[in-house]
Amino acid sequence: MDNKINAPTFSAKTKMSEIITSSSLLSIIERLNIKLGFGEASINEICRRNNLSTELFLKICKVYAVESFVPDIENLTREDIPEIIGYLQRTHKYWTGSFFPNLHSNIHTMLDSCDGTSKRMLNKFYDDYDEEIKKHLDYEENTVFPYILSLIDSEQKNANSYRIKDFEENHSNIEEKLQDLKNIVIKYLPESASQQSRINVLNEIFKIEDDLNKHSIIENKILIPLVSKFE
Amino acid sequence: MSTKHKVTIIEPSEIVSAGLKQLVEYGGNFHVVKIFKSIQDYSENQNGNPDIILINPSVMNIGDTNERNILTTKDNVSIVAICYLAYNEETLRNYDGCIGMFCTQEQIEKKLQSALKTSSDKEQDDNSNELSARECEILTAVAKGKTNKEIADEFNLSIHTVISHRKNISHKLGINSIAGLTIYAVMNKLLDVEDF
Repeated sequence: MDNKINAPTFSAKTKMSEIITSSSLLSIIERLNIKLGFGEASINEICRRNNLSTELFLKICKVYAVESFVPDIENLTREDIPEIIGYLQRTHKYWTGSFFPNLHSNIHTMLDSCDGTSKRMLNKFYDDYDEEIKKHLDYEENTVFPYILSLIDSEQKNANSYRIKDFEENHSNIEEKLQDLKNIVIKYLPESASQQSRINVLNEIFKIEDDLNKHSIIENKILIPLVSKFE
Repeated sequence: MSTKHKVTIIEPSEIVSAGLKQLVEYGGNFHVVKIFKSIQDYSENQNGNPDIILINPSVMNIGDTNERNILTTKDNVSIVAICYLAYNEETLRNYDGCIGMFCTQEQIEKKLQSALKTSSDKEQDDNSNELSARECEILTAVAKGKTNKEIADEFNLSIHTVISHRKNISHKLGINSIAGLTIYAVMNKLLDVEDF
């Protein structure tokens, strides 16, 4: 269980060490390249040392720590944009480099004892999903992020015909199949799949569901509105 | 009185609606609670919670979901067309039945009864967590890659009904993607793997 920190008391003056109460908040520290060993330093102090906007840091933390929190872009500037992108990129890297391969091998273990047909179909289902995720992330990495970075780099008006609005339109829903997979594992997998292997897979799915959800909040409520201010 | 099914008529011609009322009520199973001349009249004065709406298709296109929603917000109301023009099959498929100018009283009675049956089936399905026989058939067709239009043709249903079945299926199973539904169908032996 994640311990949610007390939202109202959580500000720039709060000790950094006090907000590290769950694995998801710990992963923010990791993705923002902030080193542990805070001592008694405040959030403000740690952000200053890391050249990071305290406002941005607090907004990201609240997205993860406070249920149904919807961030706005108040007090965020152009300078925060590369930092947000860096955060998103490191998240992608964690997913593709570690999370999804791990989930994949857990699914393999789970399906090992299933009959040929179920095994083959579910493996294919997962492979297709994997492909979908890759496409989705590649699009962000190769099209959206370079566009944004070039936009804020140049002083001139954007000559490119691409707009961040196009990103919103192309932003496919990668959570649907995950939901399907979750329900298949909970409800319909044959008994030959061991209980423990199913539980392992489900725990992973719960983790990624939450992460994907927070990730899209950051994209849709922070990144997209902020970038469209500079187009 | 309370066992009679309530019928609302939406029909511009008074001659037709008065005649229809006579015939509909003749058998003692149906009671016409209200007659409207236009859809505007209906939407302003609607009441009575009918079980069946008899409507002239020239008044509105119920194939359009938005328009259908003006007509009824309830799912279990049967909508039957009053036809004195020739309509194409496509249009009529959106209705739970069709009464023509040359229908006899017995035929009208029969058509209304079967329209009611269609909607009570729907109600029953909604209350169960298991897939109904019809839902299994539709799921199998979806898993085979058929489009809504093809499924509507195959089972002689309106596209509206197919979509509503599909929504219920996904809701019951918690599976939305076609790939996921296919896996369900194969695991539950609704579909042979050879079908691929």
